[in-house]
Amino acid sequence: MRSESPKSDLLQGTLDVLILKIIALGPVHGYAVAQRLQQISRDVLQVQQGSLYPALHRLEKRGWVRAEWAASETGREARFYALTREGRRQLEDQRANWMRLSTAVTAVLETE
Amino acid sequence: MTWRRRQDPRVQDELRYHRDRMIDDFVAAGMDRKAAERRAFLEFGNVAHLEEQVRDVRGRWLADLGNDLRYAVRTLRRSPLFAAVAILSLALGIGANAAIFSVINAIMLRSLPVAEPDRLVLISRLSETGRPLYVPVRLFELLRDNLKSVSGIAALATLRQTAIIDGEDELVNADMVSGSYFDVLAVQPAAGRLLTPADDVISTETPAVVISDRFWRRRFGRSADAIGKAVRIRNRVFTIVGVTPPSFPSLRPDRTPDLVFPLQPLLTDDQRRSMDLNNVMVMARLAPRATLAQTDAEVQVLYRGFVELQASMDREKDRPAILAQRAAATAAPDGFNPLRYDYGRSFLILMGSVGLVLLLACVNLSGLLLARAAARQREIAIRLAIGASRGRLMRQFLTESLLLASLGAGLGLLIAGWLARQLFLLFLNGRDPLMSVAPDWRVAGFTAAVAAACCFLAGLAPALHAVRASVNPALKEVRGRGTGRLGQSLVVAQLSISMVLLVGAALFIGTLLKLQRVERGFDPRGVLIVGVRSAQPYPAARIQAVHDALLQRLRALPGVDAASATLMLPVTGSLWDRTVQVEGYRFRDDESDAVNFNAIAPAYFKAIGTPFVSGRDFSAADTATSPKVAIVNDSFARYFFANGDVLGRHVTAAGVTFEVVGVVRDAKYQSLRDRVMRTMYIPQPQRDGTVQPSSYNYLVRVAAGDPQRLVPDLPRVVRDADPALRLQTARLYTAVIDESIGTERTMATLGAAFGALAMLVAALGMFGLLAFQVARRTNEMGIRIALGAARGSLVALVLRDVVVMVAGGVVVGSVAAAMTTQVAQTLLFGLSPTQPAVFAIAAAALALTAILAAWLPARRAANIDPLVALRHE
Repeated sequence: MRSESPKSDLLQGTLDVLILKIIALGPVHGYAVAQRLQQISRDVLQVQQGSLYPALHRLEKRGWVRAEWAASETGREARFYALTREGRRQLEDQRANWMRLSTAVTAVLETE
Repeated sequence: MTWRRRQDPRVQDELRYHRDRMIDDFVAAGMDRKAAERRAFLEFGNVAHLEEQVRDVRGRWLADLGNDLRYAVRTLRRSPLFAAVAILSLALGIGANAAIFSVINAIMLRSLPVAEPDRLVLISRLSETGRPLYVPVRLFELLRDNLKSVSGIAALATLRQTAIIDGEDELVNADMVSGSYFDVLAVQPAAGRLLTPADDVISTETPAVVISDRFWRRRFGRSADAIGKAVRIRNRVFTIVGVTPPSFPSLRPDRTPDLVFPLQPLLTDDQRRSMDLNNVMVMARLAPRATLAQTDAEVQVLYRGFVELQASMDREKDRPAILAQRAAATAAPDGFNPLRYDYGRSFLILMGSVGLVLLLACVNLSGLLLARAAARQREIAIRLAIGASRGRLMRQFLTESLLLASLGAGLGLLIAGWLARQLFLLFLNGRDPLMSVAPDWRVAGFTAAVAAACCFLAGLAPALHAVRASVNPALKEVRGRGTGRLGQSLVVAQLSISMVLLVGAALFIGTLLKLQRVERGFDPRGVLIVGVRSAQPYPAARIQAVHDALLQRLRALPGVDAASATLMLPVTGSLWDRTVQVEGYRFRDDESDAVNFNAIAPAYFKAIGTPFVSGRDFSAADTATSPKVAIVNDSFARYFFANGDVLGRHVTAAGVTFEVVGVVRDAKYQSLRDRVMRTMYIPQPQRDGTVQPSSYNYLVRVAAGDPQRLVPDLPRVVRDADPALRLQTARLYTAVIDESIGTERTMATLGAAFGALAMLVAALGMFGLLAFQVARRTNEMGIRIALGAARGSLVALVLRDVVVMVAGGVVVGSVAAAMTTQVAQTLLFGLSPTQPAVFAIAAAALALTAILAAWLPARRAANIDPLVALRHE
């Protein structure tokens, strides 16, 4: 049996904010979320299906995203995710948090 | 199920879409389709497993529960015999538990149907065991006039007497209550008005009485005419003024009275004045913001003063006993409830026993489910291999036992009501059940909890076993060690539980046998006990004539050997004692000078079958005016006249001196359990005071045959003696004796039933396990025989397991029984709760059952044909 642990090098908790951000760019299905994350990060960030789908459904359960089935670009039906109002607020909060944290980390690491 | 389709997130579709897009992208990048699919499969992993993970995130136990239930129903349908056995055994087990709990609920847990029952307190004297006792009317008055922490206080006495309404006489159950009674309990009338303090006075006017809804319906068909009717009782006339509501029976939850009289008009002067005639129960309602502790403190102070006054008026000798009496205020939401004390312990023991029987049924079911789990090993392994989580599988197993338990509980609750009533009637032993033991919401809640416990008990072991299974050997169809160890533990558990129940059964059966064989000092066979009542009390001058006329007519009946009468009938619980001075005997200061008294007619000892040791019987010549004479029992004679003659000595009681003219053998009066009291018999006409014929037990002994053949003649005979006299009861004395040990008989019967049931279940469990093991080892055994093993050694192989399991069961069961049988101590007679013989008998019964259960499998092992056995697999 394959190991299920996520192979991405993402910090714990950052996957959610990345997914929210990508969904914020416009309704997308799961495959597109993975693709865009890879493209935008220039292949630095990769998310495995084993982490992606549980995360998507967790966000849906929390009410931060909503999902509906619609025709995709290939014509086949896919499950599209969009942000809810609460999701948008969460994205803002978590983005601000991340920025503060990363600035702080950078400042520490660049100290001569 | 439409709701499910609407809500189903189609996780699988979503994941497939992802995988298909990956394949498309690989193909677009130049891979050939086959390779792209392989690559996608490798990267993607197990879709089913991921789907499970996603569903776990979503929380989906409700949808799963639906699936599991449907699956469980399907599996059970495929094995209807298993399902029927499982559901029926659970239904019986749960039903019996619910039934006994219904009775416990009715006699111990239910509150009176009045406003704020939690604020009611019972004020009573306490017996040595803490059981509440009646108190004198004077104590009630003292409490009523002095208690500050209560907002109201009421007294109640009970009465069973003939009442005349519209010229028709009838025996009624009545309550006599203080005027505050209905106020304290906040009861509203169903019609007319209820009693008030103004009714509760000794007055010459016509006093008021209220009737119960039940009596109103039965006697008057709920007609409004009932109000204003006259009721004649004890030669006084009362007027019906109202009806109590159907919801409220009495302060005593175990009875519904027909009539409720005011207390004062019916009390005798003796009862009003006496400080030691205990004939009322007292109930108070706490004042707002007052606590039970406050009331109890007040009661302690008042009662101390009361007993000190009582002691100061009594002999020096009796003072310590009087001062040692205790009283208390206790919370009494269930009113004055004697059933709690009469049957509480028996029913708690029954609850424990029936709980064990249910536990046994669960263990048995667990064994069956375990066997089924073993049969489904491959299915489980496959599901584990393709990604089902172990927790998920366990839930599915538990769903199956949940379904069984729910169906069992549903059926069980259906039979519980009927069973509860039968059980209660069994204990009441022919007495009228004046209360309902029907299940209510509390019983339903209890049943649900029991069912949940059953579900876990029965389902957990097989579920754990099944999911602990390793995937590989099961898939390869290798036979692992399987269920052997766990199965054996289950059988040992069954045997242990059976052992506990068997010890209990043996204790109760032993008690009954000892009680039946105990020396009683009389012979009840061939004796009929006749009770009479009169429409109105006879004037004192007339009593003796009626009494004699009745005895004469009873004696004249065909085939009658002897007819007599007695005030106290042996083993009916009655006791009448008096202090005496005995000629030539000096009592020590700390020695009791009280002896048992009984007033009897001539030929009493012949009628009841107690032989004379010496002296003569009373005769018609012993009258109220002749010299006072007495007959004493053996214990009396030996205690007071150890050396020397008994006949001709004198005994004085209440200022009257009797000459002893006879000595009879000892007889037990209070109950078969109690030791014999020193007893003195006096002729009925020489007793002081007036005693109506209705207070006597008339005895008729026939020479041969069934004395019940006389019963049809009795109503006529009784009326012949006096036109106002009625036959009230005519019962076999043997039946009266049986009734006196009714609780013991019931406990022995139920104990034996539970024990037998337990043995049967344990035997089935053992048989199943051994048969399974022999079948599994057929191959091995065939090889052994082929290699020259004696057939006896194969039987020994099987029996060795049996011995180990029985020994385990006996040891574990004995320890458990020894720790628990103490509870039954007070119900036993002539046996200690840890009597070794009882444990030995139980162990022998268990071993015998186990050997019977092992016989068939062992024989099969011995008869194995090596040729067949070797081809077996």
